[in-house]
Amino acid sequence: MSQEKRFSDEFLNAFVDNQVTAEEKSQAFIEIGQDEALNRQVCELRKLHDLVQLAYREPPAPPARITSGSTSRHARLRFGVAASVLLTLGIVLGSQIRMPATAPSVTAVPAAANLQAARLAPPTKPVQPKAAATEVVTDHVVSQQAATAIPAAETAAVPAPVIARNAFPDNTTTKVLIHLARDDVDQLSQALDDIEGLLKHYRETRQNARLEVVVNGGGLELVRTDTSAFAGRIQRLQREYDNLTFAACQNTIDRLAREQGIVVRLLPGVITIDSGMAEIMRRQNQGWTYLQV
Amino acid sequence: MRKLLTLTVLAMLTVLSTGCATMFGQDKQKVVYHINYNDEKQLNAALGNVKNHINAIGKDNIDVKVVMHGNGVDLLKTANTDLDMQQKVIGLKKDGVAFEVCNNTLVNKKINYKNDLFDVSEKDIVPSGVAEVATLQQKGYVYIKP
Repeated sequence: MSQEKRFSDEFLNAFVDNQVTAEEKSQAFIEIGQDEALNRQVCELRKLHDLVQLAYREPPAPPARITSGSTSRHARLRFGVAASVLLTLGIVLGSQIRMPATAPSVTAVPAAANLQAARLAPPTKPVQPKAAATEVVTDHVVSQQAATAIPAAETAAVPAPVIARNAFPDNTTTKVLIHLARDDVDQLSQALDDIEGLLKHYRETRQNARLEVVVNGGGLELVRTDTSAFAGRIQRLQREYDNLTFAACQNTIDRLAREQGIVVRLLPGVITIDSGMAEIMRRQNQGWTYLQV
Repeated sequence: MRKLLTLTVLAMLTVLSTGCATMFGQDKQKVVYHINYNDEKQLNAALGNVKNHINAIGKDNIDVKVVMHGNGVDLLKTANTDLDMQQKVIGLKKDGVAFEVCNNTLVNKKINYKNDLFDVSEKDIVPSGVAEVATLQQKGYVYIKP
């Protein structure tokens, strides 16, 4: 409890926002490293900070099309008819497809549904006929299992709940979780190569991506100040790529304290999560892809 | 009026083809096997897993991709000299398995895929093995790390 007096909430917030002097910062890092509760508190604040930043990132692009005045009447009518034909076909096909598709591979469905949802994500307020057409088409994929009860005519409403499941409804397209559970130095070195290669690849191909490296078990050694063979490299990666997070398993930290009396100190910038395994499950449910390297 | 008709017919065709594609495409199980180690025992076991997987559900019902990067590329290096490994790779390719090699690894380890690796052509090379594993998962492939 004494720390709470030493570090006020205001101070911690300033710390997370990087608004403190270098001296205060280094002092804080030492204290945080020594105090689990404080570490957690800072971790929570940082998470909140990140989420707020994410939430205020660039909003989805506005509909590019400008309604032109002169041709609109005829075009609208034509497209309107086309769209309604598509909708009708959609309903017929949708109901037919639903039947044979009762037992295909289960695992593929959430990902596919998510992708579809992501593609439909930018809200198109003025009803564009083209958008209407794609909604009908994609509805087959989404609806045949995910929304069996909803008639195809109400397609516009279907994707919404799918998007809501995602914790990061920003324009991030690729989310990758990398799991490291072993303390083999060669393997960890290769893993860092892979991570760096992946980050570089996404940057070069201008893909919006987030990477989370989850370490538990032996993998925790990678981010401990006293055991990491790659402290410098990790800090450099964190500096170069703000879409990279290292997350350490609290269960492993607790176990080391309990069984071996080790007080774990993490490298700066490494956050803690309650459980590595739980995080892996959570992230996959949120549409992240999983990789073990 | 004629334009309207053409448009409608085109739209109908699009919807129909998409509908058919989803109807028949769904049956195939899509799997990505991830290999980044070069322990021979482990590699043989992994190829055994793939073979058993295909046998279990039939080669016409599955789409398997084996993605290799880092030390995993040694699988095809070994297959160049080890005939047993080579036979396994040939057999799996006959079953429709695609073996994909990471270009980053080829560059970093200075591997010449034409001479050093068994039966690799340009179409088998992907820019980044790790990214490929992620991309395939986004396309609905199930991830298995044997």
